[in-house]
Amino acid sequence: MAIEVKVRSLRVRQLLAALSFFIAVALIPLVAALVVIAASQGMGEATRQVFFNIVKWARILVYAVTAVILLVLAYGPLSRLRLWLLGKKEERWDRPWERARFFLLYGVGQGRLPNDLYAGLMHLLIFWGWTFLFIGTVMLAFHDDFVEYLEGHVYLGYSLALDLAGVAATVGIIMALYRRYIWKHPKMRLGSLWDDVALLWLMLAILLTGFVIEGMRVGMTELQGATIDVHGGLATDPDWAPWSPVGFLIGKAALESGASQGFMEMLHKSLWWLHLAMATGWVAWVGYGKISHILLGSANIFFRKLSPTGAALAGTALAPIADFETAERFGAGYLRDFTWKQLMDVDVCVRCGRCEAHCPAYNTGKELTPMGFLQDIKRYLTEMGPRLLAARRKGEEVPDERPVAGDVVSFNTIWDCVTCGACEYQCPLFIEHIPKLMDMRRYLVMEQANMPETAQATLMQLEQRGHPWRGTQLTRTTWIEELAREGVQVPMFDGSQEYLYWVGCTGALQERNVKVTKAIVRLLLQAGVSFGVLGAEETCSGDPARRLGNEYLFQMQAQQNIETFKAKGVKKVIANCPHCFNTIRHEYPQLGGHFQVVHHTQLLAQLVAEGRLQPRTIEELWGFPVTYHDPCYLARHNDIVSEPRQVLQAMGLETVEMERHRKHTFCCGAGGGHMWVEESKGRRINHTRTAEAVASGARVVAVACPFCLQMFEEGAGSVPEAAKQGIQVLDVAELLERSVAYSRAATVR
Amino acid sequence: MSLHIICCVKQVPDPETPASQFRVDEAAKKVIPAPGIAPVPSQFDTIGVEAALRIRDALGDVKITVLSLGPESFRDAIKHCLAMGADEGVLINDPALAEADHWVTAQALAAAIQKLAPYDLVITGRQAVDWDMGVVGPTLAELLGIPCITIVKDVKVQDGKVVAERVLLDGFETVEAPLPAVVTVSNELGEPRYPQLRQIMMAARKQVTVWTAADLGLDPSQLKNRVNIEALYVPQTKVETEFIEGDTVEEKVDRLLQRLREAKLI
Repeated sequence: MAIEVKVRSLRVRQLLAALSFFIAVALIPLVAALVVIAASQGMGEATRQVFFNIVKWARILVYAVTAVILLVLAYGPLSRLRLWLLGKKEERWDRPWERARFFLLYGVGQGRLPNDLYAGLMHLLIFWGWTFLFIGTVMLAFHDDFVEYLEGHVYLGYSLALDLAGVAATVGIIMALYRRYIWKHPKMRLGSLWDDVALLWLMLAILLTGFVIEGMRVGMTELQGATIDVHGGLATDPDWAPWSPVGFLIGKAALESGASQGFMEMLHKSLWWLHLAMATGWVAWVGYGKISHILLGSANIFFRKLSPTGAALAGTALAPIADFETAERFGAGYLRDFTWKQLMDVDVCVRCGRCEAHCPAYNTGKELTPMGFLQDIKRYLTEMGPRLLAARRKGEEVPDERPVAGDVVSFNTIWDCVTCGACEYQCPLFIEHIPKLMDMRRYLVMEQANMPETAQATLMQLEQRGHPWRGTQLTRTTWIEELAREGVQVPMFDGSQEYLYWVGCTGALQERNVKVTKAIVRLLLQAGVSFGVLGAEETCSGDPARRLGNEYLFQMQAQQNIETFKAKGVKKVIANCPHCFNTIRHEYPQLGGHFQVVHHTQLLAQLVAEGRLQPRTIEELWGFPVTYHDPCYLARHNDIVSEPRQVLQAMGLETVEMERHRKHTFCCGAGGGHMWVEESKGRRINHTRTAEAVASGARVVAVACPFCLQMFEEGAGSVPEAAKQGIQVLDVAELLERSVAYSRAATVR
Repeated sequence: MSLHIICCVKQVPDPETPASQFRVDEAAKKVIPAPGIAPVPSQFDTIGVEAALRIRDALGDVKITVLSLGPESFRDAIKHCLAMGADEGVLINDPALAEADHWVTAQALAAAIQKLAPYDLVITGRQAVDWDMGVVGPTLAELLGIPCITIVKDVKVQDGKVVAERVLLDGFETVEAPLPAVVTVSNELGEPRYPQLRQIMMAARKQVTVWTAADLGLDPSQLKNRVNIEALYVPQTKVETEFIEGDTVEEKVDRLLQRLREAKLI
């Protein structure tokens, strides 16, 4: 069977991106300019009088007010900055060019907003509309006070563009009002605070007064061909008016309804002053409240965490505690234990609700809401921050300061998180939720030994036995002995092989997962891959300990593995557990262990593409729709979504997608140590996900993670619809192994 | 009033060792340690330390000493209890005591306890989770000539007396005894606490006092085991499977019931 593997190199993708960027920024304006020039033949004199109908000294007043406003504006972020600096130091200035690129892509380009189409479009309209109007106002000031260039085609094009920008912004604002008041979208669960409401109505008022002012001016000048005070008297032309389409319609309506010149003058003059007051007030407001995300959100995107190993999210690789001996406190218990960037994060959150809408904990009725806990810390920072600052100046303590971990943010909130990264992947402002929750877990575990009983049992188990599977009757070599009895010799890693196959605790110690391990080994042997395993020398990768808040245990386990790897000459690692994969790939380098890691689905896809494994459709799986469940730690944390699907396609299986798939995948419920920690309340996350798999119409759920396998197997037995549909759960490797074996048998026959 | 509690702690082979890994040397009548599986502190003993810590949480001025008898590796068990919050650790390490049974163990522990005097309370687990004999605690009380309260789920010190709740088959009884006394604790008391990292780090730096039999004024040649192991073996379990045949479901059920009755299972 011919296998089509989409190869789209980075270079091609970059080229495409550059091309579309060029079209957007250069081609569209160029074409628009040509159209304007062609359509406005013979209007070379067209322009406008800037302070029409307004007293002469208004110009000076505007500049004076602007200066004051800018000072007021600047005070807001500076006062917040002082609060953030209560936090610990953190380096966020590295790689400035990459930061600038992210800023362009996700700040100016708002790359993450389309995740929610309605809200994204709404925001885009307001943002670009408002930005153009702002630029237009600055251009006008330049024209009026320095060089008069807004004349003829340029002026007409400018006028048209600004009217369209105004219309776009108005549509955006109306969409927002509709969403808030009529639709009552669940993302606005926290209700409308006064600045949410005031902001929208103020912006609408600024836009509408602007249009009416324009309408009155056009009605009094261009539509009547009146002479304006430009170049010592310039006769206007009614043909210019349609280039300010909204003003033209309003002006025309005013004239046709018989509005008197005096009324129009009066309306124009009074609205002009109102518009000025509202617009400058708005600018001042940008330093404060929700609208400050224009400045602070942009800065937050610039200061996002950059990973040296290409981790997709901030929560993909947790920051190590550098020195346990000198650490003032382990983890984050109080406001000052967070870093300045973590405090900035909570401050820039605008309660848009995207994180919450995708959070598996929140959506199954748990206490955790990513937006909610950020807002809780933000409120406390606003309330307590200034007192802490004052106390720090005097060298005093604040006696009634409450701990953040376990008090401002509840115990359950901190323990509900499955570290799936949905919140971080959604956040348009790149707020880093997971590290904050994990730092609070560290505080609860290492400072207070305060954790759910199941978490404590797991940590004790990890510490005493080096694996999380309490009560297992298997050892790390049981499966090797079993395969040997079947005549399959599993090579032990001795430094001569290319790859170390890292089996992982679950792959060795859970009967169901051992089947996957055996399938992978058979496939690797079949394809002639040079590999070996560690057998009894393997121990936990450290991921569960780290995600359960015991950083100390994590570092001990990771160090031990790194030493083993180095002693044995390991360079490349195959992992079948995405959690081990993630930790070895992104977290071992923090401790000096640099290894090349590949997930088994990546390697299998490559082996299939190279023809070293030749799958064919398994007849008994014909007509069984298969759905692939993306593990969080492959898809969202590591950008691996295509390879497992390529393997399934190569087998000729009928595949269907669940509603939430690829990087929008919904956690199976086992991340962040929750494989062993009982959920606090609500529906089980894995039952919700299993129901989604059932709804896709699939009969087989293909997984690529040992925890997902466990969770779906449990779900398949406990969710009635799943049992009815006869859902089977198989690892991609298990399917491939059957398929390859089938293919081999057929060839022999 | 300052209180001194001595907790006796034993290290045991991991009770979670997979059955396939559990082997005994029948000739030497000894358990062969499973390769790669580290020994752990006996669970009931760490619950004893938890009981002592709870008394300290309630009263404040309490010194907790952890006492153990065994080889150098038992130091890990003591360190674990120090990390939980105990103040001092003492290890009786003497090759002459390597084969000690409960009687010799109790003699050595009693000598050490007397050397650690003054003491108010001795806490042990209800039994060690390896041999499950459950006699060291009461033997200690006998040797020390003090009262003993066994298998308790709660223990408090009030007005110079120890008040404990003993677990019974159908409930519990509250018992009090004058100090000093021996108390053996059961799992109903609750989970032993998880060590805080700072205490783990402090425990790592703490010195464990090591005593030999001579330090305790004991002559090993005078200490004779009273328990003799006649034989030691892993019990064989045999599974026989029998399929009940029959033409209809009713017939199969009838025959199944008949077989179960014959086997006196119902």
